[in-house]
Amino acid sequence: MTSGYVPTFKREQEPCGKLDANTERESLMVAQSEKPASHNKLRQVHPAVAEKLTDPRWAWAAYQPDARRPWNLALAGHLYRRAAFGASWGQLQQALSDGPQRTVDKLLQPQADTAAFNSVYDEYEASAAGSIDGLRAWWLRRIIQTPHPLLEKMTLFWHSHFATNSVNVNNPRLMLRHVQLLRSQALNSFRDLLQAIPHDPAMLIWLGADANRKGLPNENFTRPLMEAFTLGPGHYTEKDVQEATRAFTGWFVLRGQLRYIPREHDGNVKEILDQKGNFTANDVVRIVLEQPATARTLVRKLYRWLICETEEPNAMLVAPLVESFAKDYNILKLVETMFRSNLFFSALAYRQRIKCPVEFALGIVKALEGVVSTTQLAQDLADLGQNLYNPPTAKGWTGGRHWINSATLVGRHNIALALLRGSGPYADKLNPWVVAKKHGCSTSKSAMQLLLDLFLQSDLDPDVYDAVLKTVEAPAGIGSDEPEGMLRRFAHVVVTLPEFHLA
Amino acid sequence: MSYTRRDFLKATLGTSTLLSFAPTVPNFLVRSLMAATPRRDDRDTVLVVVQLSGGNDGLNTVVPYGDDEYVRNRPTLRLPPKDLHKIDSLIGFHPRMGAFARLYEEGHLSIVQGVGYPNSDRSHEGAMRIWHTADPEHSSRQTGWLGRTVDSIWDPSSTNAPAVFVGPITQPFGLNAENAVIPSIRSLRNLMTDQMPGYPNDHSQRKRTAKLPRTDKGNPLLGFLQRCTLSTCANDRRIEAVTKASANKVEYPSFQLAATLRTVAQLIRADVGIRIFFTEFGGGGIGGFDNHANQLGNHCALLHQLSESVAAFVCDLKQDKLLDRALMMTFSEFGRTVKENGRRGTDHGAAAPMFLAGGELKGGLIGPHPSLTDLDNGALKFYTDFRRIYATVLDRWLGFDSRIVLGRQFELLDILDS
Repeated sequence: MTSGYVPTFKREQEPCGKLDANTERESLMVAQSEKPASHNKLRQVHPAVAEKLTDPRWAWAAYQPDARRPWNLALAGHLYRRAAFGASWGQLQQALSDGPQRTVDKLLQPQADTAAFNSVYDEYEASAAGSIDGLRAWWLRRIIQTPHPLLEKMTLFWHSHFATNSVNVNNPRLMLRHVQLLRSQALNSFRDLLQAIPHDPAMLIWLGADANRKGLPNENFTRPLMEAFTLGPGHYTEKDVQEATRAFTGWFVLRGQLRYIPREHDGNVKEILDQKGNFTANDVVRIVLEQPATARTLVRKLYRWLICETEEPNAMLVAPLVESFAKDYNILKLVETMFRSNLFFSALAYRQRIKCPVEFALGIVKALEGVVSTTQLAQDLADLGQNLYNPPTAKGWTGGRHWINSATLVGRHNIALALLRGSGPYADKLNPWVVAKKHGCSTSKSAMQLLLDLFLQSDLDPDVYDAVLKTVEAPAGIGSDEPEGMLRRFAHVVVTLPEFHLA
Repeated sequence: MSYTRRDFLKATLGTSTLLSFAPTVPNFLVRSLMAATPRRDDRDTVLVVVQLSGGNDGLNTVVPYGDDEYVRNRPTLRLPPKDLHKIDSLIGFHPRMGAFARLYEEGHLSIVQGVGYPNSDRSHEGAMRIWHTADPEHSSRQTGWLGRTVDSIWDPSSTNAPAVFVGPITQPFGLNAENAVIPSIRSLRNLMTDQMPGYPNDHSQRKRTAKLPRTDKGNPLLGFLQRCTLSTCANDRRIEAVTKASANKVEYPSFQLAATLRTVAQLIRADVGIRIFFTEFGGGGIGGFDNHANQLGNHCALLHQLSESVAAFVCDLKQDKLLDRALMMTFSEFGRTVKENGRRGTDHGAAAPMFLAGGELKGGLIGPHPSLTDLDNGALKFYTDFRRIYATVLDRWLGFDSRIVLGRQFELLDILDS
């Protein structure tokens, strides 16, 4: 049993994470007037800090908590939203006592045996590879159970970057191989990943690049390679696409198998991005990786995924990351720099992203420490616009504000309700009252405060915090000694607040 | 009564006249007319698309009974002239389409004859993909024409979904967008918030907490989410109100399509910002209109359901004086062969008629009936490219820029009342 639950704003006066296990629960009940006022100063950037944030050296230096920028529950929640899919109360508490850098260590390289876990799940998936529905469900289940959520977070990132849609591929086994390729390199080498992509049958079928004849070169792979996967518009010419396409001739996907037919390869000299030679597919990838634009595209895209989607970083800010990434294309190192940074733990990143549907739903599931039916969940998430294995176009999910409109928000409201109601398709797998009791709450009031800490680290405006606490009153016929239903309702109110949609 | 954008255009510029000659009007002028204020007001127009899956036999829908070739090519499938609802001395509606005949007489229905595109695709999937992408030259195009439409009108402050798919099947590709998330719903319930069992309705609570000012002014996303949450509260109330008010007012037949169109009518009435409704009839996939054998009975039932369902929808909107805001459009992936096959059925063809229904139509026939002798591999040749209809609907009805969606300016059709 962990230590008893202490509301955030009481805890503020104590050393981080050092909680008194014998604290008398009810003595901590706070009067209405004791508000959690500005227990975290994140929402306003301190002028001195703001100035430093434009200095790349300071922005990317490792964050060390100090009096002005203390390590607190809000930042722990922030880190777990970005580097994982949300946190349980135990994880948040552990993070508080570990401090930021040690928590990042664990998220980057967990102590648990991730390889063993993944090989078990690979087998589950292989046996479910008869249908995409099965694969979707197993992936979500893997995300819930994995000891290494960051690996899945990055696999999801690559799934949107190298967006391949199973409807056109029409072969679940190839789709499984595709996602396994993404996972195998998700935190490793972008160079290796990009070398493997042109030889991935699912990708080639999806793009209509499964036949590359010498006499009939087709740009279906080379164009997205340059436009979306690496250089970005403006960093190559039409001629580069045409020449690279000739280098790609000879590659086919026949009955689901990758084939190279030498006589279909155009062996003449090509000129690609100012290099001349008798190039092959591997050469094209090498040449593209040599361009600084490639590292720039990737760093900016990861910046949007992990740090902030409301503002584009200026070139000077990301320059050191681009330079370093271009040298070795080491994804783990790049991600590590981002997560450890002063910038990541600043107001420029905090709540500056909208959760994608997977993050929204799993944020509820992870916090309440349950495992729900992921077959149902995969379908419900598809209705919110994120159909795993089926990104809408080769550009992946645009996300951001596009996730949200009044209809998808109703959908999120209703999925949250289905997850929390204790009956129906998700059954009784999530129970806020049981979770609150486990963490030392004995009254509905303290349980409500714990839920606010758990889901939002109680980082709400005082008026909103008060209003939310007041919203739930026991319905007629249900006594206060039966707080389960009330807490289900309360948890639902919390996860449908505008703030909960922010990552 | 509020003043619509189209009213404004009509009053000040005589737009419809101008635009009906669009090809001869300088593009910048057309464009500036189209690009008028995107402001949504509560009398915005809506488009309702009805997809007929499977390839509808146009010749037995709008029947050229006066053409000997029809009689000759359809020994068992031909429909007796005395049973048809005659439009003129050449053509008439299928016997079970009495409701469409009435709409036609009232001027609420137009028939665009011989609609298609060059080098037509005869496979269900390929042809449907072309109607969805509106891009016959690029079969691998990854977005649908209505998906592109929604992306083209998106602005970062908009809180409502401008398009929705209503129906029980997978969302058709026509709505596939690069950026936008377009919801699929089966019933009104999918657009309304559920409540925790045993707890009273929480609209007011949700509204109160969403409305409370936030000090986090530096976060543009938070304000946006607050506004969206408030929109869901308002929409809940609007939809609830129309479900109460319109119970049993107009009778809809008990067909799936009728139920779907009833939902559409309620959402138009609720006025929750949806401009484009996509619906489907035939079951998706290789749908119910694909009658290679014993076509007569099945086709009869489908056309009856289509015409009765649409008529009920029109009647419903008319009663509430909403018909002048709505335009319904049918399409199918292809027509069928002129000659029936040896199994009392027809095979995949090409051009076919499209129906338009609404309160602001010119009515009547658009384009000539295609020849039954000058054929394209056994099927009718097209006269009107379907993208001209899409363009007309986008530019003149919805007030969006069709060129962003279709890649170029197609010649507009003079189908709307002026």
